[in-house]
Amino acid sequence: MATKSVPVTLSHVTKIFKDPTSKAEVHAVEDANFDVRSGELVTLLGPSGCGKTTTLRMIGGFELPTKGKILIGDTDVTYLPPNGRQTATVFQSYGLFPHMDVFDNVAYGLKIRKLSHTEIENRVRTVLELVGLAELAHRAPGRLSGGQQQRVALARSLVVEPQVLLLDEPLSNLDALLREQMRVEIRRIQKSLGITAIYVTHDRIEAMSLSDRVIVMRNGVIQQIGTPGDIYERPVSMFVAGFVGKVAFFPAQLEGIEAGGRAICTVGGKRVRAGSAAEGLGTGSPAVIMARPESLRLVEKEDAISSGTVTARVYLGSSVEIYVKTETGEILVQIDDPSGKAIPSEGEAVWIGLNEALVRVLPAE
Amino acid sequence: MFTKKKLIVFAIVCAIFAAGEYWIFSTIQASFEKNAAKEITALARAIAASAPENNESLASWTEQLPSTYHGYRFFAFKGVPGEEGSEPAGGDSALSELWKLPSNADIAAKAAESVSYLEVFRWPSRVTFAGVPYTLIIAPVPDAEGSSARAALLIAADASGYVAFGRLVQTLAVVTFVLFALGFGIATFSRDPISGYAILVLAAVVVAFVAYPLFEAVRLTLIKQGRFSFDVWKTILSNRQYLQALWGSIQLGIVTATISTFIGFMYAFAVARTSMKGKKLVTALATMPVISPPFSLTLSIILLFGKNGIITKQWLGLQNFNIYGLGGLALVQTISMFPIAFLTMQGVLQAIDSTLEDASLDLNASRWHTFSHVTLPLAAPGLLSSWLLVFTNSLADFANPLLLSGSYRVLSVESYIEVTGMSRLNNGAALSLLLLLPTLTAFLVQRRWVSRKSFVVVTGKPSTRLSDLAAPGARRALTGFVVVVSGLIVALYLTIVAGCFVKNWGIDYTFTLVNIHEALTRGKQALISTITLAGIATPIAGVLSMVAAVILVRKKFPGKRILESLIMTPFAIPGTLVGISFILAFNKPPLLLVGTGAILVINYVIRELPVGLEGGVAALRQIDPSIEEAAADLGADQATIFRTIILPLIRPAFISSMSYTFVRSMTAVSAIIFLISARWYHITIQIYNFSENLRFGLASVLATTLIIIVLAVFGLMRLLIRQSEFLEKTVTAQ
Ligand SMILES: Nc1ncnc2c1ncn2[C@@H]1O[C@H](COP(=O)(O)OP(=O)(O)O)[C@@H](O)[C@H]1O
Ligand SMILES: [Mg+2]
Repeated sequence: MATKSVPVTLSHVTKIFKDPTSKAEVHAVEDANFDVRSGELVTLLGPSGCGKTTTLRMIGGFELPTKGKILIGDTDVTYLPPNGRQTATVFQSYGLFPHMDVFDNVAYGLKIRKLSHTEIENRVRTVLELVGLAELAHRAPGRLSGGQQQRVALARSLVVEPQVLLLDEPLSNLDALLREQMRVEIRRIQKSLGITAIYVTHDRIEAMSLSDRVIVMRNGVIQQIGTPGDIYERPVSMFVAGFVGKVAFFPAQLEGIEAGGRAICTVGGKRVRAGSAAEGLGTGSPAVIMARPESLRLVEKEDAISSGTVTARVYLGSSVEIYVKTETGEILVQIDDPSGKAIPSEGEAVWIGLNEALVRVLPAE
Repeated sequence: MFTKKKLIVFAIVCAIFAAGEYWIFSTIQASFEKNAAKEITALARAIAASAPENNESLASWTEQLPSTYHGYRFFAFKGVPGEEGSEPAGGDSALSELWKLPSNADIAAKAAESVSYLEVFRWPSRVTFAGVPYTLIIAPVPDAEGSSARAALLIAADASGYVAFGRLVQTLAVVTFVLFALGFGIATFSRDPISGYAILVLAAVVVAFVAYPLFEAVRLTLIKQGRFSFDVWKTILSNRQYLQALWGSIQLGIVTATISTFIGFMYAFAVARTSMKGKKLVTALATMPVISPPFSLTLSIILLFGKNGIITKQWLGLQNFNIYGLGGLALVQTISMFPIAFLTMQGVLQAIDSTLEDASLDLNASRWHTFSHVTLPLAAPGLLSSWLLVFTNSLADFANPLLLSGSYRVLSVESYIEVTGMSRLNNGAALSLLLLLPTLTAFLVQRRWVSRKSFVVVTGKPSTRLSDLAAPGARRALTGFVVVVSGLIVALYLTIVAGCFVKNWGIDYTFTLVNIHEALTRGKQALISTITLAGIATPIAGVLSMVAAVILVRKKFPGKRILESLIMTPFAIPGTLVGISFILAFNKPPLLLVGTGAILVINYVIRELPVGLEGGVAALRQIDPSIEEAAADLGADQATIFRTIILPLIRPAFISSMSYTFVRSMTAVSAIIFLISARWYHITIQIYNFSENLRFGLASVLATTLIIIVLAVFGLMRLLIRQSEFLEKTVTAQ
């Protein structure tokens, strides 16, 4: 299956819903601007209700933007109906046709396109092979497991060779193990077909492990767009930092930025050369230091920026997680290569320091 | 979507269409006018030529003319008017005054000139006397040699027909243009033109066949001789006979509703709250009266209790027993309508979590105490709502009172008599509108009060444990009661069947097959036309109601609420009102439908649309919208989605909607009794005619035939739906 992959562009896309009874306005999506390059898998990530599905539905043609423009390739598709654009959506609830068997479900789009019998047969067989369902072609969808239904939905979307594949929380109805398996599967298929894909999820692990780039949304507003590494290591805000991984924040004063990009600041009375700082952060403005568990260390009292008592220890083999209760809340410290190191036990008082090269300064919220 | 380019294209195309239309319609109108002018000129010439030879008798001749030529006015002049020696001879003085009007001077001069050249002259514009438009012509009366005019005849011809025609043509032109603009607008601007067209079609249907007829009915009651007036209503509300009918309807409604609710509750309680045996049979028997054709129960009551009734005359030997009236009506209505209360109450009782009652019993409350303090209060809103439901049904009932009311008056029959017996359509319309008042009140109470007050605890899962809430004694009494009522129902149906085979009920009970032969011979045409028309209406109503359901559930568009209410309206209003409003609306162009089969088909369709719609809506709500979205996503347009996805998924609703349409069309009475014609007769009216002529044997045969057809249709429906049951499961599974 050869798909001609194309980019997708959203410019100033806004969606405002009007509640028919109370006439209240819901700004589901506000001024969204991004583009997805051809063959790329981009994830829309954010908490429930932040407008991910709405964004995806506008790209699929199920909702009309209140403002803005959507391009697929060079074509303005903003007002085209779903059946007028080359997108294919995998719905959260799959939306399989219950009165058709697997084969007919997958063949539906091809029949609409009035392809010949043999071509339909061939293409359906090929795509069912691809998703590993060749044996179940004549099952009714009601008699398939969740994972199998998921594959049928994926196959049904892929078989029409769409320019863009849209997936709305496709794994949310599956159990944890299956989810991991399908995640790998989806990525493999997307890569092998080279198809442009937009993937909606609220699960950061899914987003980080699957995507070329991630778009983090909050209350309808895009917060940050970047590679998983970008948004994990260089988030622009406390929200993004907190949403994409475990993190501890320490109030800090920014003193200045060095030529190499390192940020000098004071935290807990200590002077720290943080690895990086968010853009546009002025000296003197309220700031925080964000530290991932792996950039925290247990230190002697005089090097510490914070202290507390250990509430729990979790051995993970290659590392140990120490949960420390501090004045500002619970902080997770990760100790790599634990063998030979002294690991504090529960109830013990500990002091926390920073691996300065790995921490980052963010504007306080 | 609205882009500048599309708007410009739209405007240009509409302008071109409008121009073309203007050209066509003005050509039609012009050629019509030309013909009309030619005709009237010829007529004027002919009349003038027949003038008496003697100018002295001109006046009396002119005065005689209107009696020969209706709708014309005449005035004669001696000589050529305006010239010397001319003087008015006589005729309609209104015309001579018009002639003398100063503003008319120019035209009068021209007219006089034409007359002097022996030419007929027609006024370029129409004139109006007393609100009626006239064409004005002056024709010369030639002298003996035919060389000059010795007199002139001024003629005014009633032109209201032409004016009406012109208005009709203009209306048609405007309607055509509006439809074109809407259709083209949808095609240009809509992302989903097929749904747009569907909305347009539905809107056109309900405007033309629901809103417009009702508007006509209301309008008719508010005008008198072309002017707005409350006279009709004053007559209605001050006439004892009409008020008696109103009160009669209400009285009957109250009696029927009260008894029916009582019996219905007993039934429901026995089925839902006791361990009585044979519940399925009891339920099946109770649904019979709901689906059985009209007149059948009345017929059977007459056969049992009428003047020649087997019980009243043969067994009891009563001479003066009279079943016709309130008592008989209440009896037959109760048997026909208690199942409504039963089914409603059964739903309510099943929805009440019986663990509440169990809890009460656990707390050592007695069964009676539990019943009166837990079950009854919980069921109270349901009781009120079934009472109101039966009450409205009783008021709208037309068939039973038509045969059985005797001298007792009810509104539905009264309005029928006004229309067909007295030809007072305005009074008939007003009476059937009056019927709407209690019905609407009940409906509003139902909506506002019952639904709010309802505190039924719906758990969603029917409680599996069923504690017997009746003490053994009470249960036996209850069972006995149910058995008696069920027995009565069976007896009534058996009576009808028996009626088919008896030579002369009440007099000669010998077995015969003659009735069957005669009834089927005489009823054949009615039966065929009923089946044909119901058969035509069925798929139309089926598809239309499913389309309406999809549109109303899945689409957003302005005016959705109004469209929905209009579609539902025929369900809430009495059939007599629908019938009367249809004759009012469709007895004139452009929708001259009275007397055709089409008016019956349309009537079936709009009356059954609401039921199908409700079924379709309920079925669609069970279906995950992303199934349809997935189909759209794969390239299907709305029509394809409807055909390949929606229709197969809501097949059970579709099938039952069609079955109900067919059955209810076959068994309709109240609206269609106004709309039938000799060519398109209806089987139920045939039953009524046979009964009216005391040919009960024949009536029984047709009623039995209808019952068999109804049962067969429902049997077929069951069969078809069962086949698709697997679907219902899988649709909801996901
Ligand atoms: N059809 C709709 N009508 C009104 N409000 C809606 C509709 N769809 C979504 N919303 C609102 O828009 C916001 C974003 O919803 P959604 O895009 O579904 O969020 P997400 O997928 O990120 O959980 C929510 O507040 C939701 O209530
Ligand atoms: Mg969502």
